[in-house]
Amino acid sequence: MTAAIRQIGLLVAKDLRIESRSRQTLGLVIVLGLLIVTVLGLGLAAGKPAGFDATAVLWVAYLFAGVLCFEKTMAVERDEGALAGLMLAPMDRGIIYLSKLAANLLLMLAVAAVVTPVGVLFFGFDLSAAPGSFAIVMGSGIVGFAAVGTLFSALVSSTRLAGGLLAMMVFPIALPLVITSTLTLMGVFRDGRELAAGGVGVLVAFDVIFLTVSWLVFDWILEP
Amino acid sequence: MNATPSQVRAESTAGEPRAAVLAAVATRGLCKSIDTRSILRDIELTIAPGECVTILGANGAGKSTLIKLLATLTPPTTGSIEILGCCARRHPADARARLGLIAHQAMLYRDLSALENLIFFGRLYNVADPTARARQLLKVVGLLERANDPVKGFSRGMTQRVAIARALVHDPAVLLADEPFAGLDAASSAGLERLIAQLHQRGKTILLVNHDIAQSLRISTRTIILREGRIAQDRSSSELDATAALAEVNGL
Repeated sequence: MTAAIRQIGLLVAKDLRIESRSRQTLGLVIVLGLLIVTVLGLGLAAGKPAGFDATAVLWVAYLFAGVLCFEKTMAVERDEGALAGLMLAPMDRGIIYLSKLAANLLLMLAVAAVVTPVGVLFFGFDLSAAPGSFAIVMGSGIVGFAAVGTLFSALVSSTRLAGGLLAMMVFPIALPLVITSTLTLMGVFRDGRELAAGGVGVLVAFDVIFLTVSWLVFDWILEP
Repeated sequence: MNATPSQVRAESTAGEPRAAVLAAVATRGLCKSIDTRSILRDIELTIAPGECVTILGANGAGKSTLIKLLATLTPPTTGSIEILGCCARRHPADARARLGLIAHQAMLYRDLSALENLIFFGRLYNVADPTARARQLLKVVGLLERANDPVKGFSRGMTQRVAIARALVHDPAVLLADEPFAGLDAASSAGLERLIAQLHQRGKTILLVNHDIAQSLRISTRTIILREGRIAQDRSSSELDATAALAEVNGL
């Protein structure tokens, strides 16, 4: 267990060091997230449709920025065949998955930290009413989304269609997370109810399923 | 009771049996198919510790696939692989710890320096002092002065030298090399040939895929020729000349 944690730390530190050098991923995904929120914010400036919810718009930004993030972090491993170097190391290949997931989550956290306040401003979303509920629900949703996104990024990274194919595969699978988290947050922010344990439970259940299945099958889908 | 591959008596290149040698690499009934296409068929291979073996074959003969299988980068369809007695299917991590691989691609991070790459891989392999080991290997491959330069600024030959250092960072007993000379200029190729000879002299088991037949016969003690996924010839390199080997490779 200690060895696994050490290995995950080593791989995540490597990813962050590469990102700090190349600055290829974080800047790009933050700009994309901001653009999506801005375009939707300006487009909806004239009037919000009935039943509009800002969390759904934030999800659009998270989804597209996330897919770009997953694609970029896996592309680093494809360059010069570095992934094969990791696959040759004497460790469980699930470690590669968990470390890539951790790196993706850190990057998505950074994206959310920048994009969310902008979305709040554009859509007049009163996050101060229940910031903890927002963090729990969105955090749970993003963990599940990153779990499947990391898995499928490894699967499609060797194909020419990488980015588009990744979105086509991940978005439908992430849909239950988006719907559940949006409905749960609508209950809190629009209807003024307490955070529904049932909604959070569903999200956590999806997270557990996505994480477990992804970790188990990662070794099988990994091709150098 | 059937013997496991590693218990099979490894034979020397002269064909004389060696007594109870634990094979460095042993395969039994190794097959690999992709979709319905058979890439490798029933490969039975026993390589004794310290042997330097070249695999020759025409394009598509299955050479690179065999190296990938031995390196545990892809699973066999059927059959077994043992690396120094360690079953690659049951204990893949232990088998990998005994292997080093040089391939077409450098398997390095372009944005990291040569030193950072080697330290990173050294840590992955639990090397006791990865910094000292990385510096030692960069000295061996003649790149100590460029240790802190990012790999993306290196020429193909220099990148390949760092890749060789990466493959040796954990001092593996078995070195697999898939066309390590590809894309190298004459000087770099000669340098790599000298390095392989030194590693062989130090007792490393080396299995390499190469297209230069004359060079292969010069470097290796044993030559295996693959044809259509099967072992067509397995002979001492001294018994082959380049012309005959070329004819064998092409199935003439």
